[in-house]
Amino acid sequence: MSEPILVAENLTKWFPVKRSVTQVMRRERTWVRAVDGVSFSVEKGEIFGLVGESGCGKTTTGKLIMKLLDITDGRLMLQGEDVTHITGAALAQHRRHVQMIFQDPYASMNPRFTVEDVLMEPLEIHNVGKDRAERDVWVREILDEVKLSPPEEFLARHPHMLSGGQRQRAATARTLMLNPSVIVADEPVSMIDLSTRAEILAMMKQLQREMGLTYIYITHDLSTARYFTDRLAVMYLGKIIEMGKAGTLIDMALHPYTKALIGAVCEPVSGRVNRIKDVPIKGEIPAATNIPAGCRFHPRCLYSVPECWEEEEPTLADVGDGHMVACRRYREIQALGDAARTSDASLGLRRTA
Amino acid sequence: MKRDRMAQLRSFWKEFRQVRFGVVGLVLFVVFLIGVVFEGPLLTYRDTNTRWRDMLYWTNSPRYAMPVWVNWFTSKDYAKSAVIEPHNVVEQTDGLRSVTMDFPYEYQAGRPPSDVLVDLAITGQVALSITVERPDGRTLTYTKQTSSSGSQQLRISVDQNLRERVYQMVASAEDPAIASARNPKQINAVGALFGKAQHGIFSEPEVLNGTYKTTLQVTLVGATAKLDRAQVVIAGGVSGILGTDGNKRDLWSGLVAGTKWALIIGLLTSLISVAVGVVYGVTSGYFGGWVDSLMNRIYEIFVSIPLLPILIVLSAVFKPSIWIMIIMMCVFFWVGPVKTVRSIALQLKENAYIEAAHGLGATHRRILFKHMIPQLVPYAFASMALAVPGAITYEASISLIGLGDATVVTWGQILFDAFSSGAVLQGIWWWIVPPGLAIALMGMTFAFIGFAMDTILNPKLRTR
Repeated sequence: MSEPILVAENLTKWFPVKRSVTQVMRRERTWVRAVDGVSFSVEKGEIFGLVGESGCGKTTTGKLIMKLLDITDGRLMLQGEDVTHITGAALAQHRRHVQMIFQDPYASMNPRFTVEDVLMEPLEIHNVGKDRAERDVWVREILDEVKLSPPEEFLARHPHMLSGGQRQRAATARTLMLNPSVIVADEPVSMIDLSTRAEILAMMKQLQREMGLTYIYITHDLSTARYFTDRLAVMYLGKIIEMGKAGTLIDMALHPYTKALIGAVCEPVSGRVNRIKDVPIKGEIPAATNIPAGCRFHPRCLYSVPECWEEEEPTLADVGDGHMVACRRYREIQALGDAARTSDASLGLRRTA
Repeated sequence: MKRDRMAQLRSFWKEFRQVRFGVVGLVLFVVFLIGVVFEGPLLTYRDTNTRWRDMLYWTNSPRYAMPVWVNWFTSKDYAKSAVIEPHNVVEQTDGLRSVTMDFPYEYQAGRPPSDVLVDLAITGQVALSITVERPDGRTLTYTKQTSSSGSQQLRISVDQNLRERVYQMVASAEDPAIASARNPKQINAVGALFGKAQHGIFSEPEVLNGTYKTTLQVTLVGATAKLDRAQVVIAGGVSGILGTDGNKRDLWSGLVAGTKWALIIGLLTSLISVAVGVVYGVTSGYFGGWVDSLMNRIYEIFVSIPLLPILIVLSAVFKPSIWIMIIMMCVFFWVGPVKTVRSIALQLKENAYIEAAHGLGATHRRILFKHMIPQLVPYAFASMALAVPGAITYEASISLIGLGDATVVTWGQILFDAFSSGAVLQGIWWWIVPPGLAIALMGMTFAFIGFAMDTILNPKLRTR
C-alpha cells in the first residue's frame, strides 16, 4: 500500500459540561472526554473500520475527521497537510475531499428536496461544473454508478418515495458527487434491512475499487466490519484499545474488551441462538466524564489486577504484523482464554450430544 | 417538481375545505377582493378617492340621510334623494334670448325631503325666474338677477334661501293668529313646501303627495351669456346604500374606497413584518450561543415598547402618511412570529440533513435559506394572516385619534369623523356601525383564514 492519506495523532475532543454556580465559583471544570487521544493512519484505497459500543466516541471521531466539530487537541493530517485548525477556503476545500455517509439516510436528506436537488447540492455549494447541463449529466452518471437506474425514474422523487436501500444509495451518490478522497461512513447500513445490507456494502466496495476511494467505516457491528474493512480499530471510552487487520483482529483478539465484543455477536446457528452467552465482561460502560484511572477498562475487566489501575494507562503496543493492543496482561489472558475455550468446547460437545 | 407542488396545493385545499370557518374567511376575503377590483362600478360617487374631503363635491347630497333600506322598515317613507334633469327645454333666440325648462318632481313619500336645491351654472349676466307649482296649485316664485360677467355656480336652497317665500305661499292656510306669530325666517320651509295647506302646516305639516313642477326661466342678457347647467336636487331623507354623514358624504362610497386601504395596510404590514420576523427567528435559533442571546435581548426590547404611543408621536411629528404608518407598524410587528420560529428552528437545526449540508460545505446562508426557511413557509403564511387584523385595527386606532393620512379614505377615519361630530350621541348609527363592522369583518376574515391554516399546517410542522 502507498502513503497514508489520513493521519490522526492523539486526536482529542472534550466537551465542556454545563457547570452550576458553585462549580463556577470553585473554578471546577468537568469535561465529557468523548475522544481522548486517538491515533491511527489510513492508507489510500484502504477501508478502515472503527468499532465500539455506542458512546465510545467513534461517531465523534468521524465528525472530527469531517471537521464538523472543533478538535480540542492533537493533529489531523489529510494528504500530508495539517488540517487540524483550518478555516474558510481551506475548510471548504477539506469538505470537498472528505465526505460523510450518515447513519440514517432518510434524516440526512431534506424531506423537501428531490433526489435531483440532493445530488445537485454539493455541486452548487462548491460551484463545480460549468453549467446545468453538465451537472445534469454527472448526476445521471452517479445515479447509474450507485445502481439507481434508470436515473430519470429517481430524479424527481423525494426521499420518502424511496426504499431504505435506495435512500442509502442516493446518500452515497451525494458523497460521490465531488469525487472525494476520503469517505467517512457512519454506520451506513445499521438502519437498513438485513436483506439489503450486503447489497449496499457490495456496492460501496465496488465503488471503492473503481474510484480508488478510501473509507472510514464506523460501526458497532463486528460482522459487517469483518466483511467490509481491511483494517479495524476497536474503541473503548474514547480510546483505541486494539487495532489490526480485520481478519486477524477478530480471529485472534487479544484485548479482553475485544474478546467480549466478539463473544456478544449473535450466531444464527441452531442451538446457539437462545443460549444465554457468557460474555466475559461485567458492569456498565462508565460515564465519559469520569474515566477510570489506569487502564480505562479495568472496572469491567474480568482479568484486572491491582497493577491495572495503580499504574499508568497502557499504550498501544505492536505485537507483530501491524496488530496493536493496549493491555499489559494480554499474554496471560490469552493463556487463560485458551484453557477456557477447550473446557467450553468440551462443555458444548457434551450439551449437543 | 411542478406537478408535485400542484398536488401539494390540491391536498392543502382539500384539507382547507374541511375547516368550515376557514371557508367562511376565504369567502369574505373574496368578497373584499371583489370590492377592490370592482371599486369603479361600486362607487356611487366616482371621485370619492380624490375628493372625499372636498366639501363642494358633496354639496348636492343631503346631510345625515339614512340608508335607503330604512324605508323598508318604516310606515312613513322618507323621500329619496334625486336629481331631476330639465324637461321641455324651450330656447327663444330672436329678440331677448331666453331658456325655459321644467323640472317635474313626483313626490310620493311619507316624510318630506331634507332640502330642495336648484343647482345652476351660469356664464355672464342673466335674469332668473324660478316658480314651483304644487299639486294643489299654489306656486312659489323666486327671481334673481346676476351681474357678474364670469361663470359662476348658483345654488338656491329652499331651506336656506326661500323660507320667507314659502311662508308667503302657505301662510293663508294657517290660523292667522298662529301664522302671524311665526317668524318666517324660522319655519320648516321644506316641510311647509311639501305640506297640505291646512292648519298646523308650520308645526305638524301633513304631506301633500303629487307632482311638484319647478319651472325655470333664464333670460340671457349679454351676447356671451349662457346657461351651462341646470338641475333640481332633491336632498332626501334617505340616500344611498349606507346613508350620508354630517358632511353630506356618501358613506357607501367611503366604505368601498376604504376597502383597498384596509387590505393594503393589512397585507403589506403583515407580509413585511412576518418575512423579517421569520428570518430573524430562524437566524437566532440556528446560530444559538451569544448571537441567540443578543438577538433575544433585541427582540425583548421591541416587544416591550408599546406601539400605539410611538405611532401617535410619530404621526404628530411627521406629516401623517399611510406609508410611514405601515413602515412603523412593520418596525414593531416583526416580533410576532419570532419566538415560535426560533423554537421551530432550534428543532430543525438538529436534523441530520442540516449536519449533512454542513459536511458538504454549505454556508450558513445556504442552510438558512435553502434548508430551514422553506420549512417555515406554512407557518409564515398562517401568522401572516393572523397579523393582518392587528395592522388594520392599529391604523384605525391612529385614525380614530385624528392622526390618519389625510390623502386617503380609511375606515378608521370615517369612524373618527363620526366620533368627532358626536354621531354616537345623536344616534347617527349608520355612520358608526358600517365602518366598525367592516373593520371587524376584515379582521375576522384573516383571523379565520389564519386559524384554519394553523390547524391544518401545525400538526404537519410538528411531525416533520
